[in-house]
Amino acid sequence: MHSKMRDAEIKAIIRAEDTWEPVGPTPMPTLTDLRNWDFRLLDTYEPFYAPFCDLCCLCTFGKCDLTGDRKGACGIDIASQQARWILICSLMGTAAHGAHGRHMIDHLIEKFGEDKKIDLGSQVNVEAPIIRTVMGLKPETLGDLRKAIEYVEREMIHLVSATHMGQEGDYRDFESKAFHAGMLDHVALEAADIAQIVGYGLPTSVADTPLVDLGWGAIDRAKPTIVVVGHNAVTANAIIDYLRKHDLYDKVEVGGLCCTAHDVTRYASGAKVIGPLSRQRFFLKAGLADVVVTDEQCVVTDIPQMAKEAGAALIACSDKICYGLENASARPAAETLREVLEEQKQFLILDPEKAAEVIVQAALALAPKRRDKKQLVTAAEGAALAAKCPGTCEACNRACPNLLPVSVGVNQARHGNFAKLGEVFMRCHGCAKCEEACVNQIPILRLMQAAATWDTYKMRSGRGPIHDVEIRKVGSPIVLGTIPGVVLFAGCSNFPGDIDDVAWLAEELARRKYIVTLSGCAAMAAAMRKDAEGKTIYEKYIPEFDAGCIVNVGSCVSNAHVVGAAIKIANIFATLPNRANFELMSDYILNRVGACGVVWGPYSQKALAIGTGAVRWGIPVVLGPHGSKYRRLFMSKKEAGDWTVVDGRTKQLVDTAEPTPEHMMLVTETKERALVTIIKQCFRRNDTPPGRAIKLNSYISAYKQVIGTLPDDLENFVRTEKEIPIVYKREVLAYLKEVGWQPKPVLSLPTIIGTYETKVPIEATIK
Amino acid sequence: MASETMVMPYYKVNVLTGTKAAKVIADPAEGAAIIDRAKNPLYVFGPEVIATPVGDRLLIDYALEIAKSRDIPVCATAHVKKKMLELGVKPDCTYDIIEIVHFLKDKAWSGVRGKGYHDLVLFTGVRCDLAERGLATLKHFAPHLKTFAICRRSHPNADFAVPVIVKGDKWREYLDGLVRALGVKA
Repeated sequence: MHSKMRDAEIKAIIRAEDTWEPVGPTPMPTLTDLRNWDFRLLDTYEPFYAPFCDLCCLCTFGKCDLTGDRKGACGIDIASQQARWILICSLMGTAAHGAHGRHMIDHLIEKFGEDKKIDLGSQVNVEAPIIRTVMGLKPETLGDLRKAIEYVEREMIHLVSATHMGQEGDYRDFESKAFHAGMLDHVALEAADIAQIVGYGLPTSVADTPLVDLGWGAIDRAKPTIVVVGHNAVTANAIIDYLRKHDLYDKVEVGGLCCTAHDVTRYASGAKVIGPLSRQRFFLKAGLADVVVTDEQCVVTDIPQMAKEAGAALIACSDKICYGLENASARPAAETLREVLEEQKQFLILDPEKAAEVIVQAALALAPKRRDKKQLVTAAEGAALAAKCPGTCEACNRACPNLLPVSVGVNQARHGNFAKLGEVFMRCHGCAKCEEACVNQIPILRLMQAAATWDTYKMRSGRGPIHDVEIRKVGSPIVLGTIPGVVLFAGCSNFPGDIDDVAWLAEELARRKYIVTLSGCAAMAAAMRKDAEGKTIYEKYIPEFDAGCIVNVGSCVSNAHVVGAAIKIANIFATLPNRANFELMSDYILNRVGACGVVWGPYSQKALAIGTGAVRWGIPVVLGPHGSKYRRLFMSKKEAGDWTVVDGRTKQLVDTAEPTPEHMMLVTETKERALVTIIKQCFRRNDTPPGRAIKLNSYISAYKQVIGTLPDDLENFVRTEKEIPIVYKREVLAYLKEVGWQPKPVLSLPTIIGTYETKVPIEATIK
Repeated sequence: MASETMVMPYYKVNVLTGTKAAKVIADPAEGAAIIDRAKNPLYVFGPEVIATPVGDRLLIDYALEIAKSRDIPVCATAHVKKKMLELGVKPDCTYDIIEIVHFLKDKAWSGVRGKGYHDLVLFTGVRCDLAERGLATLKHFAPHLKTFAICRRSHPNADFAVPVIVKGDKWREYLDGLVRALGVKA
């Protein structure tokens, strides 16, 4: 809620008197400031709910059965309950990123002071497009980034409150609040990544970042090995500092699992990326780590037990993950180290420098004693381990959340054939539910050591922000449609198929001249496919933000830079003001920037928050099948929907009769379907006829490749005959005649501003 | 005497999970009767129909025979259409699974052949976790239709479901029985 006092506070926080741009209509928006925008989106893209549970178990009125048209004792219905869960889960994701940012920023302010300047190099002037757009603040220092996190924290308390029993009661309002949480998530992402770029000197204003080694096989087993797990590289970077200071950098292996791996390799390219979340258990059970270091987010919860079983030390370094361990932050490092080595005790150490000393010294001491524990399971040993499998019970199959034929693999391994188990491993999430279910206690994940490839791969380390000069170069062709789209592969490793399917999708798009960007676990998985010459996509494609290039932006928090790039197109290329102008930027992206987010292996609440935030910005999101378990999508009625917009030139309402973008969040079942869906989601109403022809060419060629015919909904996206790609002209014309196609209007300035109540005038959409 | 697993206690507040679950159709003839009662059925094929062998045939061979037996329109999801065309069959429509479920929950939708909403929707070959989510959507938001999951892994969110059938030859027998009961020569 706004009051005069709050308005004055906001003006002070964002330094409203700064003249870089006039303050727009929604500085630091609160829960209801963008509600009309949200509802306008929801009018076209209805929430689609797939209840994961028929009950509500949140308060002691219940449990309440909400099946069909039943209501809870509090009055809530099944749709609102799903939307409430979405809000709760989005808040979890936003909180995880926000707390990460808060910790990072506080740590760096303690180290450098709050006046430490933000400087992202010569190529990046619009340093924080999300914070500028949402808050109206142009952050200049670490202290300003703290303001961004404080804004996120302030809004979150209201959002969490709305999830309480007897508060919000309408699914559309829950969704609006989830959008708000998602947008706040993006503010937090941007603040966190800018802070670490500034504080640690991570790459910025450079595209050609180093190629780093990836894969569990990349770890040199002869060296002491430290494995950092999680998403917050404060301690990992302190380990690197300690190694450098003591001339140990080349003598100790530092490998990472999940996004800490991205960020530590941005800091030190000699560090290794072991792999995504799905490989945590596999690697830890292999015993290759002498010391396991946990920070925060996406760390498997039973990691202390696994470390113990492997005879490795474990140091937890985040107040979010304490595992019941003794806090040794205030104790002398030497004393803690002695207990680690002599008593095999695990500790919580929240002081990064102290933790680094204990971790490195423990690795040096433990490595010589653990050589025998670093022996991998051989084929003969594997066959012996599998010998107890009767091959008939299928308990492992039934426990597998990725529906894999584990029993077939184990049963063949029993006879010394590991080919099938190798296929299972490629699709395995590493949850170990199969082991848990096995009535004969076969250590299936260990068995996979004999089946897995121990290849190493090259991944380009995360490059951070997209450069302003790149935006100036690609802005026009993206908006005109002649660069067919910008695709971001983000998120987790809960893939439905092979771990390297993301590489297949990325390459199919890059060779069709899409700008392909990646982050997080998806960026790692994309490195795990080699061509006939042994090259990964990072070695084959130019790492620039341009047509046909492939860019790894970095960790989860680096996702902000791709959303930021979409904003920069509106702000830098189209010169629309972004300061406190959320609706103006989002409307531009929705109608004119052919961007699409893809989370092919979704599992986390963080990925949900990122995706939900993307939708509020007008960026459609395509999910892999596990995304259906988020229980909510946003889908239009396709050609039966209302696709009326305002023509910015004439200010008249125009029925465009074309469903673009067609859906705002949907699940596809196979990678083949994902390919054609991603391509389709990059269509925009603003496409010029030549641009649309290029996009249609991609759509038709991909559809023919994977489904075998012209697209079944081609008539929805051909507006004029000029747009039909020449190579398919005869065939497409015959099809269009058969289905009774009619031409559709082509607009050069489409906007949905003016189709709902907003403070933004239509004139603002035109520069 | 073996004790049974409790499904529904007296007080609903004590129920383990939801209160509405599929009727298990153990007898293929009963399954055929359900299909026969439908006035405007639809058959949704998922991608596993083109990748899953049943004996020396593919699952799609059985699904097509079921569809042909009562001229049931087919929705090809994912990339199933390509294989269907190779087999000389054109699907009646092509959507991905979530899209067709989205349309099905709308009673005002014209249906695949323009005859209005479908009163029975058969599903085969959709990956089981995704199918279960789509069936949950229809259970809650599409009271105007019934669903029948013709899948050996069974689906509690459907209205009608095949029991869990672990053995491949039993699954083939079930499908043969269903085809036979519908009056199609196997």
